[in-house]
Amino acid sequence: MRNRYGLLSTLTAIALFIVLETLSILLVVENGVVQRYKVMGAVRSAQAWVWTRTSRIRYYFNYKAENERLSAENLQLRQQLARYAAARAELDSLTLIVEPDYTFLGATVIKNSVDRQHNHLILDRGRKEGVETGMGVVTAQGVVGIVGAVSGHYAYVLSLLNVDQTVSAKLAGSGAFGPMTWTGVEPDRAVLREIPVHITAAPGDTVYTSGFSTIYPPDIPIGTVLESKVSKGSSQELTVRLFENFRTLHNVYIVKDNRRQEIEELYEQAR
Amino acid sequence: MNKPGNILFFVLVFLLQLVISDYLHLGPWVCLTLIPFLILHIPLSRSPHVVMLAAFGLGLGLDILSAGVPGLNAFAAVLAAAPRKFFYRILVNSDRQDKTEVPLLKDIGLFKYLKYLTVLVAIYLAAYILLDCVSVRPAGFIAVKFAASTVASVLLSLLLAVPIQRRS
Repeated sequence: MRNRYGLLSTLTAIALFIVLETLSILLVVENGVVQRYKVMGAVRSAQAWVWTRTSRIRYYFNYKAENERLSAENLQLRQQLARYAAARAELDSLTLIVEPDYTFLGATVIKNSVDRQHNHLILDRGRKEGVETGMGVVTAQGVVGIVGAVSGHYAYVLSLLNVDQTVSAKLAGSGAFGPMTWTGVEPDRAVLREIPVHITAAPGDTVYTSGFSTIYPPDIPIGTVLESKVSKGSSQELTVRLFENFRTLHNVYIVKDNRRQEIEELYEQAR
Repeated sequence: MNKPGNILFFVLVFLLQLVISDYLHLGPWVCLTLIPFLILHIPLSRSPHVVMLAAFGLGLGLDILSAGVPGLNAFAAVLAAAPRKFFYRILVNSDRQDKTEVPLLKDIGLFKYLKYLTVLVAIYLAAYILLDCVSVRPAGFIAVKFAASTVASVLLSLLLAVPIQRRS
């Protein structure tokens, strides 16, 4: 009798082991970070409260570096503004009012991870401020990630420092473009792939967003080429040093592509 | 520190793990875990079913409450919990009449404790790192990350184990 009970106990333990491991694998394969964010809405709200306060403390200690970064960004924006003002003066005679392709919403990072293979950020802007899934997140120093899920007041962003994330990027000058992904090791390195071998990419060349998507605007500087190597004999792989310092990320912009709906409708029609 | 086996002990160590996961940035080469340390402190009298369910709960709880892919910690925790008693018998005490409830450092000695802890940590981290990095990261990176994470996690667990043995 005892043997039978022992055997039954062993068999049920094995069955439980298989069930739990299968369930875990399914969760991993589904990679349900977004679903989890939605399901755990209440928990997330409480966590967001804690994260907001801890991010303020961290920000206090980083404010000098952040101020310097914002000053540099201000200077860059002032220079751009001056160029636009000059161009505007020339266009004053035109009456056509054109809606900008992109609009930007400022946001603060309240939670950020950089040490994992699947990093993410939480921003203090959500559905109530018009944030939607699929929107890009950028700074003046480059791309940050894509909004994966939104709640009322917060947005969950899949960081560029995520092995599953790809950004369409192009080389300055030649305009050759390809998919760029994080290396998975250092938070300031990425690899730009599928650049034709006849394209010359010198160390120091700037890499920009290509704009071939409804996520990121074109021509946002991402980083500079560190080195190049031929991959599989047919294309080059360029190692890129990212401008963005993900460890000190605090102020970001959420990008709304105003053409997105129209482009998506076009895709639907073409199917 | 509370007596191992006490629910408050598990809650405090789990909270420490959450703080480590959320706020301690050690870079991509090191992953610090206390989940195997907690699994080791589940009383030996508990059935494998209870141990596996508890480990699954701890892992999934960590997946949900901290950044990461859901299922990763849960998978690794169950894999470390399932053979726990088997490794206890071959590494610590093969006597089936042994009445030890929780294998503490002061009771089984540093060498046996270290062996037992290292095996649980290694199983956990091997599963976690392989599932997270395999096919997207080179084997060298995975091997270095595994070695560095195992050493760091065992040392951290030992740091916690010393005050526990003094107070229990």
